[in-house]
Amino acid sequence: MSTQAVKKPKKNIHARGIEALKERYGWICVAHWVFGLVVFFILPIFQSFYYTFCKVTLVTGDLQTKWIGFDNIKYIFTENPDYADNLIAGVGTFAYSFPIILVLSLILALMLNQKFKGRVLFRAIYFLPVIIASGVILGTIIGDQSISSTSGTDEAVSANMVNVKELVEWTGLPEKIGQYFQDAINKIMNLVWQCGVQIILFIAGMQSIPDLYYEVSKVEGATAWEEFWYITFPSLSRVIVLVTVFTMVELMTSQTDKVISQAYNLISSQMFGESSAMLWVYFIIIGAILGAILGAFNQFCAKKWE
Amino acid sequence: MKKLFDKLIGSFTKTDNNGKITISAYKTKRTLSSVLVSLFRYALLISVSYVVLYPLFYMISNSVKDLIDWYDPNVFWIPRHFTGLWYKWAYESLEFLSALKNTILFEMVAAALEIISCSLVAYGLARFKFKGQKILMFMLILTILVPDQMIIIPKMMNFSSLDFFGIIGLINDVTGAGIRINILNTGFVFYLPSLFAIGLRSGIITYIYMQFYKGLPRELEEAAWIDGAGLFKTYTKIALPSSGVVITTVSIFSIIWHWNDYYLAIMLMNSYESMPLAVRLSNVKDIMQTLYNVWGGYKMTATQCACCILFIAPMLIMYIFLQRKFVKSIDRVGITG
Repeated sequence: MSTQAVKKPKKNIHARGIEALKERYGWICVAHWVFGLVVFFILPIFQSFYYTFCKVTLVTGDLQTKWIGFDNIKYIFTENPDYADNLIAGVGTFAYSFPIILVLSLILALMLNQKFKGRVLFRAIYFLPVIIASGVILGTIIGDQSISSTSGTDEAVSANMVNVKELVEWTGLPEKIGQYFQDAINKIMNLVWQCGVQIILFIAGMQSIPDLYYEVSKVEGATAWEEFWYITFPSLSRVIVLVTVFTMVELMTSQTDKVISQAYNLISSQMFGESSAMLWVYFIIIGAILGAILGAFNQFCAKKWE
Repeated sequence: MKKLFDKLIGSFTKTDNNGKITISAYKTKRTLSSVLVSLFRYALLISVSYVVLYPLFYMISNSVKDLIDWYDPNVFWIPRHFTGLWYKWAYESLEFLSALKNTILFEMVAAALEIISCSLVAYGLARFKFKGQKILMFMLILTILVPDQMIIIPKMMNFSSLDFFGIIGLINDVTGAGIRINILNTGFVFYLPSLFAIGLRSGIITYIYMQFYKGLPRELEEAAWIDGAGLFKTYTKIALPSSGVVITTVSIFSIIWHWNDYYLAIMLMNSYESMPLAVRLSNVKDIMQTLYNVWGGYKMTATQCACCILFIAPMLIMYIFLQRKFVKSIDRVGITG
């Protein structure tokens, strides 16, 4: 009761103390972002969600919407011949790309984080894919797969890189096995090109682990394996979450993704509602996968470490 | 053979009287294992760098190779006859200078705006506690998660008739004036979102900034508060000067992402005159593929490789100059999640 009795009189903000001032400063810092968030992010999301259930037509530069319920979703699954296949292919690509990228970039980051001769050079090289292997470049030099397969001369870049196929044929094994290995290696090489940012995020995370932990573990006689599992990996848990999210979004929005390019084609032919429906279905599926992965990660890893 | 093998094993497991491994045996074991580890490390790193550098070598080699060498099966990497013809064609078909001007004028300015405004947002989120902060943090994660493709159609429509909260619509209704602000195909489609820290991948940039500011010691700023410095002074005099490391990292990310940005540009900048370099490049590729029968595969591939080299050259040069700083800054940026 007594606390209520000494209720502070309302004063000027400077008199109310530094905490009140700081709260105001916080809002001043983020004010422009909150405005942008509403105008350029939240409203468009709702609009795009609304378009999913509408027939959208372009009339003299303005969009006219007419509520049609679930017709767009029905259309993309029943009438559009490619969408279901593309969706399965897209999710399938995730299934193998995501773990490979995550593990590969973690291993490479571990290697690059150690002290050895030439590590500056190697680190500089491993960031290059972000520049060299951007979507536009890969799209240009690998070329349109359908055209290159019919013409025969303009082969995919990665197909020339290491010719496993010939090697396998030389040993006399059936051609199918050679093709299988070639495909696998080409895929892995394409994935290596997507590891640049992830490696950097991992290295930055590793650098912020205090050296003290490793010194203590050395004194206690831990092996490198134990050091990794009991120090490095738990300390990186939040970075892993960040990298997971980043990789997911990166894979989903890459230009080679079939669902995205199909949705883009629909936008070009002014089928906005159908395109929105395609993207939303895709996004919800990916979001569910991401949620499941992060949930499992929280359940089995993060809790154990705390 | 077996004797040798036993000897080798024996040298590792040589024991003293108490049945423990001797120090010299332990030392040999350690040096041997460290040699093996470093051998393995170099083997892996070099083989993966080959994969990483392959497209660059491929593009450089093909873009200077003369047509004679394309038919010569002996020539693979290093051409015997050099030619600048492909670069000339690439330069002309890209209309390189005008495209470069567009990229710098639109994308690079947007990148600079983004770097500045994201820093302020991250500072606010990391340093101050205020009501609604949790919701804003959630929104930040959401901006990283939701890809641009999801919101591109409404964005396009909103940009074609810019209207904040229906204010302009209201003015039009009241006065009857047909004001319509169309900012498609102008730089503002990139400037405006970047200015409000919600541009191309601003979420992740803000996140990196935020991690850095969280790790920065508060003492200096506390002292400044007590001495009566305001927000603006503390931010510009203390926070910004000490965040050189993170600004390097973030600038390189932001500049490269903007340079390579294709999807937003093709949707919002679709007139030929205002196309940035990335869109022009893919445009040229599409045109060349229709010319395939006239040109033949080799000329097409060579010109495309030259186009790609022209496209990445500015970024590559920038990276070579900033590389040392960048690699060092990664060590100190302190992302802990």
